[in-house]
Amino acid sequence: MSENHIDHPTPKKYVQIAIVLGILTAIEIALYYTEDIVGVFTDPILIILAVGKFIIVVGWFMHLRFENKMVNRFFTGGMILALVLFAIVMIERASANFS
Amino acid sequence: MSSSHSYPHEPTGVETRKLGMWVFLSTEILFFGTLITTFMIFKGRDFPGIKLTDVYDIPFTSISSFILLMSSLTMVLAHNALEAKDQEKTRVWLLATAMLGAVFLAGQIYEFTEFYHKGFELSTNIFSSTFYVLTGFHGLHVFIGVVLLLALWGIGQRQKGLTLEGGMNLEFVALYWHFVDIVWIVLFTVVYLI
Repeated sequence: MSENHIDHPTPKKYVQIAIVLGILTAIEIALYYTEDIVGVFTDPILIILAVGKFIIVVGWFMHLRFENKMVNRFFTGGMILALVLFAIVMIERASANFS
Repeated sequence: MSSSHSYPHEPTGVETRKLGMWVFLSTEILFFGTLITTFMIFKGRDFPGIKLTDVYDIPFTSISSFILLMSSLTMVLAHNALEAKDQEKTRVWLLATAMLGAVFLAGQIYEFTEFYHKGFELSTNIFSSTFYVLTGFHGLHVFIGVVLLLALWGIGQRQKGLTLEGGMNLEFVALYWHFVDIVWIVLFTVVYLI
């Protein structure tokens, strides 16, 4: 069953990852309260932080980084379809046709 | 998770049930993607009635978010304990994950109740409807996750306990639970912070 076995992170490593996630969340909250100082960069930084947390959980906790390529393709495929849908609707919203 | 194992006898090289779970999660991405898109269409527009920004409580929601994030840690520790064949720790971490999920749910119920008392109701305007549908469906997913975790914990209490052979069941629940967590990572930013 365990051919080509790759060692998974140790519990200590998982705790370290969780601490990183906690720190990123703290930065997000700090950014929310310092929006007046950070200005127009607040939203892009918040999105980057959320994407970072997303990738960490998917890659390390869901073990996608150790997974078969087919599994990766299914998950990435779903993400791409959802992002395409989001982009189309947002472009349409920004246009004058969406009122 | 036994995710790094290969299955040469499966045509895809991946255990079929596990591949099915990932396909299911892929469809769930589209489900939540649609709900988030709908929410974003109406976010930032002027509607009659009280606004979400007038009622929400960022410190409270931040604590809830942190709790759900940490439940992903306890979940992965439960799976790790099962791989180490430590039944006791597996049960403890499973129960801890279920409890953290339940605390998150309790927080969401409290939050919804507060919003209602302040006049931000499901029918206040179309934006409030999209908010409750989006966060409500996430809450429903958390609830299902808690039920699955408690069911696994119950199985673990039996004489044979959870086995590595049956570990795939724990892996499926873990994947589902982490998915619920990543959805909230997006929702917390999109709904509350931006």
